Amino acid sequence: MTSTSRLRALVVDDEDLARHLIREYLQGHEDVEVVGECENGLDAVKQIGALNPDLVFLDIQMPRLTGLEVLEATGRRSGVIFTTAYDEHAIKAFELHAVDYLLKPFSRARFDDALARARTLHASAAAAPAASPAQGVEALVARRGATLERILIRDREQVHVIPVDQVECIEAQGDYLAIEVDGKCHLKPQRISEIEEQLDPTRFLRVHRSFIINLAHLQAIERPGPDRHAARLRSGKRVPISRSGYEKLRELV
Amino acid sequence: MHPILADARKLLFYELAWLAAGVGFAALLRLDEQADWVGALCFTLPLALVWSFDVLSAYYVCRSQPYRQRRWPVTLSLFGGASLLSGLVFLGAGEALNYIGGDIVLGHAFVTMPSAAWVMYFLGGFALYLLSLLAHDVLIAFETVQDAARREAESRVLARDAELQMLRTQINPHFLFNSLNSISALTGFDPAAAREMTVDLAQFFRRTLALAERERITLGEEVALSEHFLAIEKRRFGKKLAAQLRVSPEAAQCLLPPMTLQPLLENAIKHGIRQVDGGGTIEVDALVRDGWLHIAVVNPVARDDTPASGHGVGLKNIRERLAVLYGQRARIAWQRSETQFAIEINLPVDKEAGT
Repeated sequence: MTSTSRLRALVVDDEDLARHLIREYLQGHEDVEVVGECENGLDAVKQIGALNPDLVFLDIQMPRLTGLEVLEATGRRSGVIFTTAYDEHAIKAFELHAVDYLLKPFSRARFDDALARARTLHASAAAAPAASPAQGVEALVARRGATLERILIRDREQVHVIPVDQVECIEAQGDYLAIEVDGKCHLKPQRISEIEEQLDPTRFLRVHRSFIINLAHLQAIERPGPDRHAARLRSGKRVPISRSGYEKLRELV
Repeated sequence: MHPILADARKLLFYELAWLAAGVGFAALLRLDEQADWVGALCFTLPLALVWSFDVLSAYYVCRSQPYRQRRWPVTLSLFGGASLLSGLVFLGAGEALNYIGGDIVLGHAFVTMPSAAWVMYFLGGFALYLLSLLAHDVLIAFETVQDAARREAESRVLARDAELQMLRTQINPHFLFNSLNSISALTGFDPAAAREMTVDLAQFFRRTLALAERERITLGEEVALSEHFLAIEKRRFGKKLAAQLRVSPEAAQCLLPPMTLQPLLENAIKHGIRQVDGGGTIEVDALVRDGWLHIAVVNPVARDDTPASGHGVGLKNIRERLAVLYGQRARIAWQRSETQFAIEINLPVDKEAGT
């Protein structure tokens, strides 16, 4: 191990003692330097952006944003070791995608193993950046949880957390989604079919090739012409409805 | 439907028994020289068949008079009337079968009846139907008792399930494994604190297991258990978490279902204090006023917190449990403002005898 491959690590956990333990385990490893600590998800997003650490010890259950939401917001896909006390769903996903994780409480030996693997991955990623084994984490982030309850939108250094109930409608605009909330419009780089899959199908409906509406914000269905329909939302906005969208809507409403 | 009619095997055996009785009756008639074998059997077997169904109708007569709602004059006249009618039917059917049927088949009556026979037939039909009514009454009473026993067993199983469910949620794996992780961290730099935390954890689980089996515990016992819980959580969350418990001595003696207060504190931490950047204080007030026990829990919440899914399930569980135990007499209400969550429980005061 040469001095050029020193690892810069960020420790993210809302419990002081949990962070303390990781720092203590790291003391025996001179090649790892702790560059920061965070106690909530939003802070972690900022620090990951600002410090760009080589390795992040990331707790799953945290205030503000969960560990997986931190990854979604930052776009980070490698150099992550998850820590969790108990989360059946997350653990199943970790196993499925061969992502490394530490179950609290963990032994020093188990910790050293995970660190050794992270070191190897970091070295190979540095040698050949294209070959980094990030697909596992990618799949994990894309398919987290059952239904999406809040949408994260990154706006330069800020992260907006929007509860899905407040979303009025979503429009596909090229590679972006325009998400309408309280008369404001947020842009997020994502495909409409992807977010359609994540949203609760009983609350959100794709009424058109490029529109998803929140049924709770639907006020009326209008007929501007023969065989043409449009949804009027509470905000007054009108959204076109395609023929197949109209059939789906009639089944639901 | 009648239990015999609903089951083909039972019906078969029942009819065979009646036909055997018919053969016996025919033998009697033969002995008495009222008829030859052919005439006697031609007479008794169809009669037995008709009669076997007639007495089953008693089941419905009994069912029309549920035991608990019986007014005896009405019931007795109904039973008497039905038996009387049945006696007449028996007599009429017997006479018609004997003379008309016999005339057609043999050219003369099946049985040469003595002059007083009709009285016998009538009384026989009457008595038989009355017996059937009594037998059915006993059968129905027996069924009712069995039904009640089965329903009681079922409700006991349900109650047991609810208790197990409660225990499982109490031994919250998140709480357990995170606490063990904190102990693991403490052993490195503060072994004395690690030992204290181990004891708190053990005490908390020991008390939870002991108390969850009891139907009611005093608020004082629940507070003692909650204090172990808070001691553990304070180690985990450090300066972020503070708690003030103000429980009046009178309130501490009141009885309530176990695990009423502790889940409220757990919620206050999980959905409240933990989400607030600087942390905060949980305030618990318990007092007795005008025969009511009031318990209020207030905690800060994050201003812009989006409630995660599953929020409120715990509160609904408590509400359901209280509704089962107290009916309309228990009240639980909660409200959330921008920065604070408040929950209040009101229970009728109930104290242990002798305290």
